[in-house]
Formats: sequence, structure tokens, C-alpha cells
Amino acid sequence: MSVPILKQGDILIASIQSALSDQDLVELRDQLADRVGRLRARGVVIDVTALDVLDSFATRTIRGIAYTATLRGAATVVVGVQPEVAFAMVQLGLGLDGIATALDLEEGLALLHAGKVERALRK
Amino acid sequence: MINIGNQTPAQVLSQEMGLTEQAVERRKRISGLEPADLERISSIKNLVLAHTEEYTSVFFDHLSSLDEGRMVLANRALAERARQLKREHLAAMVQADYGTGYVTQRLELALLYSKAGLDLRVFLAAFHYLLKSIGSTVMKHFEAEPVVGFEAFMSLKKVAFFDIGIIVDALVFERERVIRQQQEAIRELSTPVLQIRERLLLLPIIGVIDTHRARLITESLLKAIRANRAKVVVMDITGVATIDSKVANHVIQTVTAARLMGATVIVTGLSAEVAQSLVVLGIDLAKLNTVGDLQGGLEEAEFLLGYRAASDPSGSFGAPAPRS
Amino acid sequence: MPSESSVAIVRESDIVVARQKGRELAASVGFSSTDQTLLATAISEVARNIISYAGQGEITLSTIEAAGRRGILVIARDQGPGIPDLEAAMRDGYSTGKSLGVGLPGARRLVDDFDLASTPGVGTTVTLKKWLR
Repeated sequence: MSVPILKQGDILIASIQSALSDQDLVELRDQLADRVGRLRARGVVIDVTALDVLDSFATRTIRGIAYTATLRGAATVVVGVQPEVAFAMVQLGLGLDGIATALDLEEGLALLHAGKVERALRK
Repeated sequence: MINIGNQTPAQVLSQEMGLTEQAVERRKRISGLEPADLERISSIKNLVLAHTEEYTSVFFDHLSSLDEGRMVLANRALAERARQLKREHLAAMVQADYGTGYVTQRLELALLYSKAGLDLRVFLAAFHYLLKSIGSTVMKHFEAEPVVGFEAFMSLKKVAFFDIGIIVDALVFERERVIRQQQEAIRELSTPVLQIRERLLLLPIIGVIDTHRARLITESLLKAIRANRAKVVVMDITGVATIDSKVANHVIQTVTAARLMGATVIVTGLSAEVAQSLVVLGIDLAKLNTVGDLQGGLEEAEFLLGYRAASDPSGSFGAPAPRS
Repeated sequence: MPSESSVAIVRESDIVVARQKGRELAASVGFSSTDQTLLATAISEVARNIISYAGQGEITLSTIEAAGRRGILVIARDQGPGIPDLEAAMRDGYSTGKSLGVGLPGARRLVDDFDLASTPGVGTTVTLKKWLR
């Protein structure tokens, strides 16, 4: 089951629909990396609105995907973390440090269009 | 109450109270109900059934003889329903079948008592009179064999205590539910999240922050961020009684969680001294965006949101509009 | 809704099955949406541990009651290599990026009662309990 990657101008949008397997996530990472390069995408939005749980594995993986896209030169934003999911994540001690975040797809795109997302890795 | 499917309120209450088959069996064991009891109860079944109307009257007469009980009967429809249920209860009491269905039936009456605000002491007193009445009938019937009669009545009393256990637990459960709701309402009132401008929330925290309260604050803030599409939150901790390492960690957690939802949190009211003592304790305050006072924090927030230029000293934010 | 169920954890997709069942069970008992998510996340962590370190195992979910409170009991069992140093496993290692990382100590923070029993070479059992407030 793979994640559809949409293109909007020079921004790629990956909407993760449901809990993905290791394989799916690796595939997503590689596909994004490939497309950022090929299509010269300047921004990437990873949308996790549909995820009702973000455990340590999923968080690490999403971090990895965001880093990979950033390394390829695209400003990356993770959007759609739900209130309960955010709460559970901080209880677990997880964060998305160094990765830009926004409330939802609309906000994420606005952030990218306003040029407010660094295309470099922050500490 | 969460209603799952087409269940009656009594069935829902039964689930909430955890009255599974195993739980009911455990209660029966506690009441001491044994097969021998069931036999004895069956032997007086018809005797009791013949007098259910009389017993029902005894119960309700006693209720109406007391001020606290009279109020319950004030609503005619409720009183009629209660009488009907009581009659059915008495009939069921001697059927020697006390499973989850029997229990749910008791809960229906308990819910009625709870809604009518029936005092527990009054209920127990009236129930006592009812039992006494049944006892008289049984002993009179077994005049020739008083021991047999006594034992049959004692077996029935076990069921009576089983019933009391359920009804009392239900009344207490309902009362605690009300208390819980009130406590929740009080907590919500004490942690208001105010939207003071578009995309800008103000969270003034006053008082003691324990783990439970910190959690409630975080939960309501995160929900408010989503509801208001907030991009900046000014979290003022001037009014927090003690800011120790635990509280600091709660604040950091709240800030981190808000960040996950794309909102920046500016923490105001953290004095330089407190900040220093926290650093000494090893708390990493680098994650926090702190500004000395609330005024400064609000200005910083406006700057972040593009409402004012960096060096614009003129205040321009509107009056707080309390909304959560 | 049965008050006890068991999920075999054999492949990755079972992690989602287990946590979904956990969420549903928690909902039926009356846990808030936030608590449901905490429990589902804890189940996800222990289920992931089973897959990662033991290859396969089993998670049983049931409703429990004590002192008038209702709750959920989660038992995650496997016959894997076991955890040689329980203390180390329960220490927060996420900041150092160690593989056991957040899993167990993190899961503990999400629930009320936590128990870890493990015998190297025999297996591991993690017991979680979450109580309705």
C-alpha cells in the first residue's frame, strides 16, 4: 500500500492515510527523495492528519523522511498532528525537533509559499 | 453517559458499573446465596406473589410518611412508574433467577430513585419495612413449622441484601458521576484559553500546577489550537505558585506538544531568578521562548504574527475576547 | 463487545490490529479520546518491541475492575531472547538514540500500572494497566 504523492506547483504533498508498514515508509522516503530531485521540488508537505497514533517508530521514520527531503534541497513541513496524538507523543518523550510543523495542509502550504521554512537542517 | 447502540439507560449503567456475569456471580457469592436458598425461596414464591400489592404499598407508604421521601412521590408519573417497577421487582425476587437481567431490572429502579433524588437512608428504611411485612406473612403461614418459615425468610433476605448492594452502589455511582462532572467543570473554568486576536491565544495560568492539572491544561490548549487555528500562544505563568523542576518540565512538555501542531508558545512571567535556579537544576530552557512579562510577550506574539513591526512600541492589540 | 480478546503479533500489520482493538475496548469502558490514544500508543510500542526483538508474540486485552474503578489490562507476551538488563531497558535512552530507545520507559509513562518480567533465553512479558479516572 503506497502513499500518493501529489504535486502542487513546486511543492510535493504526501498524505499518509493510515499506519504504514516499514516497507511503505521506506518506499515513501525514496520516492520523495527521487521526486524532489527530478521535479526540482522546493517544498514538501508530509500530512499525518489521518494518523490516530504516532508511536516512536512512526515518529523516527517521519523524521527520517523529512530529513531526506531536506537533504535533497526541499523545505519540509509536517502537518496534521492531532491534539491527542501530540499529547501522547510528548508523554512518550518524542518531538519533531528541527522539523517545521504546521496545523494542517493549508497552513503548511502557506508557510512554504511565504518562504518561512528553512531548506537546511536545524539543530 | 455513553450510549452504545439501542441500549436502555439501565443497560448502559450496568456496563459502566462493570456488572458483567462474573461480577454478578461474585456479588451473589458475597451475599451467600446457595442452591439451598433458591429452593427455600421457591417454596414461598406463591405466598409472596399473592401479596405483592400489599408489600408495594408498605414500601411507598413509608416513603410518603417521611418528608425526604414525600418529595420523591411528588411527580405522579415518576411515582406510578416506581410502583410498577417495585411490583415487578417483588415478583422477580422470588423467581430464584438472579442473573444480569435481574440486576439490570434493579438498576432501572435505582436510576429512577437517583433522578428523584431519593435519600439513601429513606430508601433503606422503607425497604426494611417492606421486608418486615414479608417476614410477617411468611411466619404466619409457617406457624406450625416456625424454623422452616424462619429459614425460608432468611434465604429471601440474602436476595434482599443482594438487591440493596446493587441499588446502593448504583446510587453512589450516579452521585459520583455528578461530582465528577462538577469537578471537571471547575477545572475547565480554572484553565481558560482565551483567543485575543486571530491566530493568537492567551493562556494565563494561576495557582498550583500538579501533574493532573498540567495534563488538563495541555489537553485544552491543544484542542484550542486546533479550534482557533492558532499560530502563537502566550502562556503566562506569573500566577503560578511554585515553579520547580516538575512544573518547568510540564511547561516544556506543553510547549513541545503545541509545537507539534505548528504553534509557537511564548512563555511569560518566568523571572530571571527562577529561570536561573531551573538552569542550575539542569532544566534545558533553550527549548522555551521566554519573555519577561506579559506585555512583552504579547508584543512578541504580534510581531511573530505580522501585526506589528519589530520596533513598534505602540500597543495595538484589542481587548481579550474570552473564547475557548 | 467482548471484554477480553487476544491478538497474535506475527507481522507488522498486527501492531495496528492490536492498538485498534485496544482503542475500541478503551472506548467501550468509557475512556476519553485522549486516554484511548495514550493506550493505543502504549500498545503500539510494546507490540513493536515484540516484532523487533522476539519476532512474534501475543497481546491480550481485557477489562478489569478493582476498588470500584474500571480499567484495561494489556499483557504483551513473547518467547523471544528476553531482556538481559531490565534496569537498562527501563532507563530513558531516547536521547542517545539507542535502539530500545523510547519503547518501554515511554510506554510506562502512558499508562498507570506497568510491569516488566523477562528471562533471557525464555521470553518477556509486559503488563500494562490503565484505570478510568
